[in-house]
Amino acid sequence: MMQKSPYSQFLILIHNYNHMQGNGFKIGVIVAFLALTLYYLYPTIIWNLEQKQIEEMSEVDAQAYQAENAEKLSDLRENILNLGLDLQGGMHVTLEVGTPQLIAELAGQDRDDLLDEVLAEARISADENDSDFIDELVTAFEARDPNARLSRYYRSDADDITRRSTNEEVVAYLKAQRDAALDRAIEIIRTRVDRFGVTEPSILKQGSNRIIVELPGIDDEERVRNLLRGTARLEFRTSTDVNDFGIFRNQAVEYYNVEPDTSDTTLLLDQSVNPLLDVIGFVQNQNPYVFGYAAAEDTAEVMRLLNDPEILRMYPRNTDLLWSAQPTVFADGTEEFTLFGVNSDVELTGEVIEEASIQFDPVTNAAEVAMGMNSEGARIWSRITGANIGKPVAIVLDNYVVSYPNVIGKITGGNSSITGLADVAEAEDLVNILLSGALPAPLEILEERTVGATLGAASIRAGLNSVLFGLSIVAIFMIIYYRKGGMVADIALMLNIIFILGILAGFKATLTLPGMAGIVLTIGMAVDANVLIFDRIREEQRSGKTIKAAISAGYNNAMSAIIDANVTTGFVAIILLSFGVGPIKGFAVTLLAGIACSLFSAIIITRVVIDYLTRNNADAVSFG
Amino acid sequence: MRWFETPNINFVGNRRIAYVVSGILFLSSLGIIITKGLQYGIDFRGGKEFVYNFEEPVNTVEIRDFLAEPLGSAPEIKLFGSDSEILIRTDNESSTEEVKAIIEGSFESNLAGNQFSNQKSDTVGPRFAEDLKSAAAQSVIYAIVIIFIYILIRFRNWTFSAGAVAALVHDVTITLGIFTLLSDTVPFSLLIDQNIIAAFLTIVGYSLNDTVVVFDRIRENSVVHKGMEFFSMVNKSLNDTLSRTVITSITTLFVVLVLFIFGGEVLKGLSFALIIGVVLGTYSSLFVASPLVLELDKRAKKS
Repeated sequence: MMQKSPYSQFLILIHNYNHMQGNGFKIGVIVAFLALTLYYLYPTIIWNLEQKQIEEMSEVDAQAYQAENAEKLSDLRENILNLGLDLQGGMHVTLEVGTPQLIAELAGQDRDDLLDEVLAEARISADENDSDFIDELVTAFEARDPNARLSRYYRSDADDITRRSTNEEVVAYLKAQRDAALDRAIEIIRTRVDRFGVTEPSILKQGSNRIIVELPGIDDEERVRNLLRGTARLEFRTSTDVNDFGIFRNQAVEYYNVEPDTSDTTLLLDQSVNPLLDVIGFVQNQNPYVFGYAAAEDTAEVMRLLNDPEILRMYPRNTDLLWSAQPTVFADGTEEFTLFGVNSDVELTGEVIEEASIQFDPVTNAAEVAMGMNSEGARIWSRITGANIGKPVAIVLDNYVVSYPNVIGKITGGNSSITGLADVAEAEDLVNILLSGALPAPLEILEERTVGATLGAASIRAGLNSVLFGLSIVAIFMIIYYRKGGMVADIALMLNIIFILGILAGFKATLTLPGMAGIVLTIGMAVDANVLIFDRIREEQRSGKTIKAAISAGYNNAMSAIIDANVTTGFVAIILLSFGVGPIKGFAVTLLAGIACSLFSAIIITRVVIDYLTRNNADAVSFG
Repeated sequence: MRWFETPNINFVGNRRIAYVVSGILFLSSLGIIITKGLQYGIDFRGGKEFVYNFEEPVNTVEIRDFLAEPLGSAPEIKLFGSDSEILIRTDNESSTEEVKAIIEGSFESNLAGNQFSNQKSDTVGPRFAEDLKSAAAQSVIYAIVIIFIYILIRFRNWTFSAGAVAALVHDVTITLGIFTLLSDTVPFSLLIDQNIIAAFLTIVGYSLNDTVVVFDRIRENSVVHKGMEFFSMVNKSLNDTLSRTVITSITTLFVVLVLFIFGGEVLKGLSFALIIGVVLGTYSSLFVASPLVLELDKRAKKS
């Protein structure tokens, strides 16, 4: 007597149930499933036909046609089977919100050397342990003084964080701030991307501080990169004290003047033994607010020399040294960046900007960005300009000076402009960034993948060829090996592929190149269920059963092996789905859809067809 | 057509030969992996990869030589499908736009007149690569643990779980060994990246597929043929399912070969792994998994 586990009882139950219903029920299920699949694939088919039609038209006709049918086309576009970036070409970027910078800035005026030290420490340990930066911050902070409170740096009336708040409360507050910053960053990036004009962009949150941006059909990577990354922190600052600044410049140069070594005669006549003068240059009649000029590759060295502790002590009060965003081109063709002395107090930020637009300089025709402020901004701006007539005012974007014009008269209307831009595209992007708002913290590009449209098209061809060849070879083999039974399995196999595509379209999944590989692999593995069944039927025939009894026994006895084999593969696909990113997810999805469909087609569809063929004549089907 | 209709091959009796073969393959794979180290692609190591398409055929050695100095170290260069397409892999840490400018500038001065276009550029930061690597390692471990548990639940016998998992480890290790050994010699990229991890997990699934079908038959035979010696029962089950094992392996091998030949350069590594995996998976379910179950069963019964 065969021992019946609950599982095999379940199988018997399914079998009896099916038996009672006859094949009418199964046929109903198959037809319903097929109808659903075709319903989901219909927009994709029509869309492709429309595209073909549009391609054949002349450009003028095509535009007219597209305008006429805009609504219909966009409806179709929304419901078609999506192709991954690896197939249609485009750019995939993973960005990370700079948590350390965000947390540092949240401290505002309370930020001190101790906090900077702890932040730096937390940053290193978070990287090493692959842990949360904020948690590491508390650990590092408490390691110095277990009783110290983070609330001395972070207070917020709105969130009820006071001096007496515990470190746990502060941590919760900081994490909430980070979440808010991430959401805000996503919103801003979405606005920027929309303004840039990308069709079907995808912007998704990943984990606690990452954003995945997918932009199909992008061909100007560098513009997009700057668009995504620019924090767009716009500041208006006044100038530094011109006399103090001049004194400081002389002192700094003097400091690096190496005392000529009198014993070494070879050096006696060499006057330029000054590391600072090696990397920075001056011009005649130099703007008194300019420290000097340096080539792009020397700017880092200049800053290293000027951040020497001795030099830092010489800085005039409230002075920052900031580089120009654009290089100055000299008469001999060399390009050098300008180092300006700017007041470190920020008088006004980009938050007051209400309008931004491109305009062209009437003389040089160079592109500029004109900005308009709200009433409060205009009021402060008029005060600043009024108090600084004859002196320059700096417009600083992301810590680079984009404009440092001399104020000629008081500006009352809240107007200002950014000049010295490279081209119109840069002006357009700047307008876009200014209007979309400033990012709460800098974003770092962690990963970036770009596929050109040509390679994408080649991948589609390669994928389609593989599916076709794979299908043909397996189909022919099945017919040779199993004869009529093989033909039935082939019908199931074709339906199987249609089902997979229908499921992908229905669930709005994306078809990638590895996804197509998944379909090809499914072709090879989908016939496995039928191989198991047909081999079993042959075995049952050998043991003397009639063909009808053998078919029935074959299907029933093969079932448990089929289920086991597919469940284990299904587990693997689910694991891949949860680990994988981008294209690999596509592979897992098609593998999973393939398993479900092949179970359905191999067990139900082939059974119905075989039952139908053998309804009058048991020998109508052979299994080779 | 019928192959292996009523085979009577003594798989279990000849298992010692299989143990020697598998042992040598497994240990030498481990040896290669330890001495040479796993060859990671940029997904798991960080770095930059570019694909360029030229009008005229190019020489990879020449390109490597003239790019070595401006990039700071010699990049890896492989042909990408045809002799006028190349894949460049570099560890240069400057920004993507800077590295691209260096490469394209060098092309212009060294390959004047040969028009080129950028087909693909990938940049993976070192921190992101670390994350991907640990996620990949976790997924492989999860897959193995879940499979162990599933088989334990379905077959109520830990020796089945152990046999299946041993076969999986065997297959994946040898595939990794072959990848490490061949990574410098084959004309396509065999570095371990996300695609290869997907292929490994598929191999795990496939190899298990075969193994589970055999186990299922052992379970059935142990009910139908009570009193038959376990040794003969394992052998009988392997022979009973041999035809199915071979046919499924053939159809799967067909499609992975098609993928390897027609699937394009991007899928070369993945389909190569699948080819090895299908062959090894078939071999291991016949000669490793089931004989190991027998071995472990004997020990378990003795003690």
